[in-house]
Amino acid sequence: MRIAAVVFLAFVGINAAAHAETAQEIVAASDKVRNPGEPFRSTDTLTEFIAGKPRDQNVLVVYAKEDPATHQFRNLVRYVEPPRDQGKMVLLDGHVLWFYDPNSKASVRISPQQRLIGQAAIGDVLTVNFAVDYAGTLLGDETIQDASRKDRQCWHLDMKAANDQAVYNRVEYWVEHGSHYPVKAKFYSDSGRLLKILYYRGFEEQLGRIRPTEAVIIDAVDTSLVTVFKFGDFRAQAIPDAWFQRDYLPRLQPE
Amino acid sequence: MIARACGVALLGLVLADAAALADENSDLDLIPEAATRPQSPPPAAAPAGAANQRIYLENAFTGTARRGDLLVPFPSPKPATWQERLFLDARKQWTLGDTVNVTLSDRVNLRAQDDLDVPSHEDMINDFREGYVSWEAADRTYLDAGRINLKSGVAAGFNPTDFFRTRAVVDPLSVDPTVLREDRLGTMMGLGEKIWQGGTLTVAAAPKLDNPTPVYNTTDLRSFDPSLDRTNAHDRFLIKGSADLAEDFAPELLVYHEANRTSFGANITESLGQKTVAYAEWAGGNRTSLINEALRYGQKTGTLPANGPSAIPDDTSVYFQNQLSVGASYTTESKITFNLEYHFNQAGFSRHDWNNWFRVGAAPGASANVTKELWYFRSYAAERQDPLSVHSLFLRADWVDAFVPNLELTGFVNMDLYDGSSLVQVTADYYLSNAWTVGGLVIADLGGRHSDFGSLPESTSVLVKLARYF
Repeated sequence: MRIAAVVFLAFVGINAAAHAETAQEIVAASDKVRNPGEPFRSTDTLTEFIAGKPRDQNVLVVYAKEDPATHQFRNLVRYVEPPRDQGKMVLLDGHVLWFYDPNSKASVRISPQQRLIGQAAIGDVLTVNFAVDYAGTLLGDETIQDASRKDRQCWHLDMKAANDQAVYNRVEYWVEHGSHYPVKAKFYSDSGRLLKILYYRGFEEQLGRIRPTEAVIIDAVDTSLVTVFKFGDFRAQAIPDAWFQRDYLPRLQPE
Repeated sequence: MIARACGVALLGLVLADAAALADENSDLDLIPEAATRPQSPPPAAAPAGAANQRIYLENAFTGTARRGDLLVPFPSPKPATWQERLFLDARKQWTLGDTVNVTLSDRVNLRAQDDLDVPSHEDMINDFREGYVSWEAADRTYLDAGRINLKSGVAAGFNPTDFFRTRAVVDPLSVDPTVLREDRLGTMMGLGEKIWQGGTLTVAAAPKLDNPTPVYNTTDLRSFDPSLDRTNAHDRFLIKGSADLAEDFAPELLVYHEANRTSFGANITESLGQKTVAYAEWAGGNRTSLINEALRYGQKTGTLPANGPSAIPDDTSVYFQNQLSVGASYTTESKITFNLEYHFNQAGFSRHDWNNWFRVGAAPGASANVTKELWYFRSYAAERQDPLSVHSLFLRADWVDAFVPNLELTGFVNMDLYDGSSLVQVTADYYLSNAWTVGGLVIADLGGRHSDFGSLPESTSVLVKLARYF
């Protein structure tokens, strides 16, 4: 009986220490790991695997800058590969999303839901602060395996969309204790269907701190589809606010 | 006893938790071996020119079934029953220094069809779409000069504010309005644009460089010719501006002047939740009816007898008339995007005009000149990319990764609301790889003989294509 009490007290004590940070603080700290605080551009390579075999490769250049008013990122994405999509662009600025096709020279307003279209959905390469778009709840502590099958002691968070800019309705999120490294996430649709499972990996120093440089996304609806995202060529870059509007898209020049 | 119960309960919890975690870790089994290795670093940023180009070679074969029981006989040349086309399409931008770039966009077509002689100058058609220089004279202040495709509008099926669309599309392979925008001729113009934070102002001036020419058909297209008669037959001016007036509210206003007439336009979009975007596009200005406009154009360009009366009654008065495209897009969780739009073209055919068109054209003994004039009205509207009827409905669907990854299905229905007849097109594109695409489309004109689309000479077209991107 005494041993049970000691175990119980120890369990409570550990939990109390772990819960010193609120769920929102944990998510915000993890956002700082994932996303540079200064305006930047990166080149992202998306490799699609179908039934275990690599198939298509997409290359995108992402320009991102945090909006000081909302603390959310504004994004410009330019397609570099495949050749048929070269030069196409997507603008995300708060509620506003535009798709520009240089072949038709037309800009089309798209809905947030259209960020999820395609196995390598544009919503997965956009720089997003989860703490702004989601309200988190701490479910508890778990030790789970990361992408390289190493055990990581994590906070397990349940995040619900806090505004209509959130890409997904609900996200389960695992963040490593202490380092606040993102380890794993599961993304759910409005209807509660599991859409994607994501593992972060390839932690390297980029723009001043250790950040994940790869993400593996498993399509939970068709698990034979897996996409590996490689985030690279990070560069701090001054990005004028005027870039983040529809009429600038045809003017954005590759650098 | 209580301690044992607690112990059992605790053990149960631990085991349940362990099972859940084991299940959580089993997600890793879904990652294929090839994807478990760290990926090679991404390529360095592509050279500026290479990152802003699209070059592809495409072969397309089209077969068309004609109707044999037309109420209003179609004048020669009849639509081709087959066409084989091979074309090289290139769009490329070169950067010259920090502030200047040059854009070239062109398509060279080799074609053969049942009513063309081989060889003839009609077998090779060059579409010189764009060729212009752009100079950033100051921060986000641009001066462009040359042949430029200047597009406006937010709707998918009909763009009243896309003032430079008229006569610009040459012999398209698809009738999908979103595809028509990809292969059209730009207009020779000078353009200035200033982009501020939260606003843009664009001014364009296009001079008259050629005279208006008759409406083209597929057998009299110009071979290697810039076709300035299509794009620069009048002096034209456009001013348009947009401003962020409130969060998620940035309307665009346009003023357009051509041939002593001024038109106005507006574009508005609004996001309605996660899945829906609503939009409206309007243009208005003084003009006559489409029938009268077509008649006068046909007479001016020599297609129709000068000063002859219209074969059917036409409204000759000039007054402010509107064009409108209003609709919404909706995206489902299963990755299908629908666009539903209502189109209004006040100058178009009313029910009364349609009755006259069929009554006169189908009358026993209607002369060839009369039927030619009746069909001319329709060709004129098509070349202007205006809806023929006053009221029409447009529904488009685009399904990415349809049934299998890399298969994209698109389809649209354009319905005349007077008679319910429809133009329907379904397209399938399968991306074999990053370089190769195979696809096809089916176009059908559905409706009774006494209807807009059911009276057309083509009933069905089928196209198969293979494209190689470089």
